[in-house]
Amino acid sequence: MSESTVPRDLGGSTAADWFSLLKPRVMSLVVFTGAIGLIVAPTHLNPVLSFTAILCIALAAGASGAINMWYDADIDAVMHRTSSRPIPAGRITAQDALGYGIVLSCVSVLLMALATNVVAAAVLALSILYYVFIYTMWLKRSTPQNIVIGGAAGAFPPVIGWAAATGHISALPILLFTIVFFWTPPHFWSLALFASGDYERAGVPMLPVVKGARHTRVAVMVYSLLLVPVAVSPYWLGLCGRTYGASALILSLVFCYYCWGVLTDKQDAQGLSLTNNAPARAAFKYSILYLFILFGACAVDRFV
Amino acid sequence: MSTKRSEVDDARGAGGAAARQSDGPEKMPKTEMRESNWTPEQRAEYLHRRRGRNFLLLGALAGFCLLIYAIALVKLHEYGQLW
Repeated sequence: MSESTVPRDLGGSTAADWFSLLKPRVMSLVVFTGAIGLIVAPTHLNPVLSFTAILCIALAAGASGAINMWYDADIDAVMHRTSSRPIPAGRITAQDALGYGIVLSCVSVLLMALATNVVAAAVLALSILYYVFIYTMWLKRSTPQNIVIGGAAGAFPPVIGWAAATGHISALPILLFTIVFFWTPPHFWSLALFASGDYERAGVPMLPVVKGARHTRVAVMVYSLLLVPVAVSPYWLGLCGRTYGASALILSLVFCYYCWGVLTDKQDAQGLSLTNNAPARAAFKYSILYLFILFGACAVDRFV
Repeated sequence: MSTKRSEVDDARGAGGAAARQSDGPEKMPKTEMRESNWTPEQRAEYLHRRRGRNFLLLGALAGFCLLIYAIALVKLHEYGQLW
């Protein structure tokens, strides 16, 4: 039976719709980086409390996603990539999504404070507030630098994981934060290059829409170059070992190679791709793999 | 009719309240919204979805209670205090 046969006012949403409000794909990366922050911390945390800390990070990320979907319902309805989400598709009302997001946010922060410590709970709350108010409500619709500054919201999880285990914040989690921060622009701008039509239709001032594809390609390359020293810095500062250092250097150079492909893609006079943005798609895919392997190497390094 | 409508509104929940406000007190609910007009397949689908949501909520609440219990045990055992 098709979804439209049950009117939404009479409860047309499924459990899967409520789960998809949490943006599970984004959540997986956030959970992974948060878990790495917890693992590389020098203090041992009880497995039950570790699990709770990671669950809280996941809940907070999901809650932020639900509130984001509430606020951006108008944009999501216009964009092809997001038009089938539960709110624009009419399966869940925007108000229900907002309530869901607020309740989950409060539960995640309180549970984090109960299970671990106030520092971790405070950073978790800060990450939710930053994502909702700074990124979603302010930056996303007002500046092409939205994902540069807003990228900080996605960089909090390793700091939260570390704080959950230790009760404080030190140099390594701050460097992990910086890595995610510098990784975000080439990751999202690669996506924006091949989805710029969607963003333009929705009126979201992503860099390719405002400054054009050529400018975006240069920016992707610059940020990937900046990422090299940032990614290797934990090794230079003696906070991680050779396994991490070698992995960071090789992975970052390969990322630069992919971004070079984005920069030198066959283009027309406006900088628009003549290859259906194949290099940008490849760079986007590699960027996800990059972060997984880099953070994985950081954890492996801890036990080698 | 008013009794039937009130039952339908109960089933609608918050969404129904909003629809009721916009419709005005004298208007009949739209035909496709009336539960009595549903086909057996629509009703079965609705019940199936509601059951799915209820089980999810039950699982989440049970999991939450178990988690709080486990945290309390660990905290009291390892640290001698809950907070």
